Amino acid sequence: MEYHPIPQPEEIEVRVREDAMGAYFMMFATTAMGLPLPILNLVAAVVYYYVNRDKGKFVQFHTLQSLYSQIPVTLLNSGLVAWTIVNFAKDYDFTSFYWGYLVMCGTAGLVYFIFSLVGAVKARKGIFYYFVFFGKVAYHQVYRIRPEHGTSAAQNRPPNY
Amino acid sequence: MQRSILRDLLILLGVFALIWLAASLFHYPDDPQLLSIEKEERLGEAYVDLILLNPMFRELENETIDSAVTIIGERLEAGLKQSDYHYSFVVFENKMINAFTVPGGNILISTGLIAFCDSPEELAAVMAHEMGHVEERHVLSRLIKELGIDILTSGDQYVLGEVTGRLTSSSFDRKQEEEADRFAAELLERSSIEPRTLATLFRKLEKEEDNELMKHFEIISTHPNFSSRIKEALLYEPGDDFEARSMDLDWASIKAGL
Repeated sequence: MEYHPIPQPEEIEVRVREDAMGAYFMMFATTAMGLPLPILNLVAAVVYYYVNRDKGKFVQFHTLQSLYSQIPVTLLNSGLVAWTIVNFAKDYDFTSFYWGYLVMCGTAGLVYFIFSLVGAVKARKGIFYYFVFFGKVAYHQVYRIRPEHGTSAAQNRPPNY
Repeated sequence: MQRSILRDLLILLGVFALIWLAASLFHYPDDPQLLSIEKEERLGEAYVDLILLNPMFRELENETIDSAVTIIGERLEAGLKQSDYHYSFVVFENKMINAFTVPGGNILISTGLIAFCDSPEELAAVMAHEMGHVEERHVLSRLIKELGIDILTSGDQYVLGEVTGRLTSSSFDRKQEEEADRFAAELLERSSIEPRTLATLFRKLEKEEDNELMKHFEIISTHPNFSSRIKEALLYEPGDDFEARSMDLDWASIKAGL
């Protein structure tokens, strides 16, 4: 599989770098909003991606990386909120598996936060910073050279006799 | 590239699954599992010795009563599926209607409670309920939460005094009471004692709720909703092969010895 060449830091304009950095910082801004309803973070990430997708592959890569890494964190947090509500509503026990899950969500949130912070700083410097798994997926998505198809114009033909 | 992405995904999933598992299995500082049964039993013995020194909890010396309580206790112990505890039932002289659990499988019963019970089955229901608190380690959980495991295991005389004070006026939350009730119903059934005796007991307790003699009784100390507890006890359905077996104790003459 072939990929488009990636630009070097000096080739990337400052405005582009700032837009790329914004993908991560936007997450922090929406975190407080997303605490009671984690899904809001994800909505914000999707909106940011669609607004900025035309600003070049560098911005696309960072917004996608930020968006993809947001998905599991959102799902984990949504699961935690749901589990907590069910426990309170049904008067269930807060089992050790619940507390384990809480710790895992906290760890995931912390790791996500640190990676995003580093990602934002690197993006500002025009550097590609790849998150584990999500970095590769985002790179593959943005820089893969897609085979061209459907370019030939449709032609009208007479019926077959 | 795709293989490398898949490998990263598996690593990520594996790491977080391990974090979940490790954090679930980790014993948090207020987890009663941190204290072994043997240690709990040793502490329990010290607590019981100290409690019985108090004139309000003087141990009753009456062979008839002791042997009746032992018979009931042995029937219940035989009904336990599996237990790490060596139960000890001690009767103390006090006209207050009371029974409470001390860590390590020690259950203290007042003569007032024995007088209050109209049948050995009713006393068995109370004892089964207390055994539920033992098996679920409710007392220990509460003490660890309130005092911390380090203080609890220090063996300090002042700590012992504090703990015994808390034990004799123990109360549990509604959930723990429900767990103990459920445990009691199952244990009574396995011990061939009618589990719905619990409903009879609760009805009697409900009637006497304002009785001053009951103000320290743990079963009613958390302002329980008697209606729902009676309902739960009545809804409990023993298995098809259940057959109640009489206690074979002359309860009236046993009580006459009080």
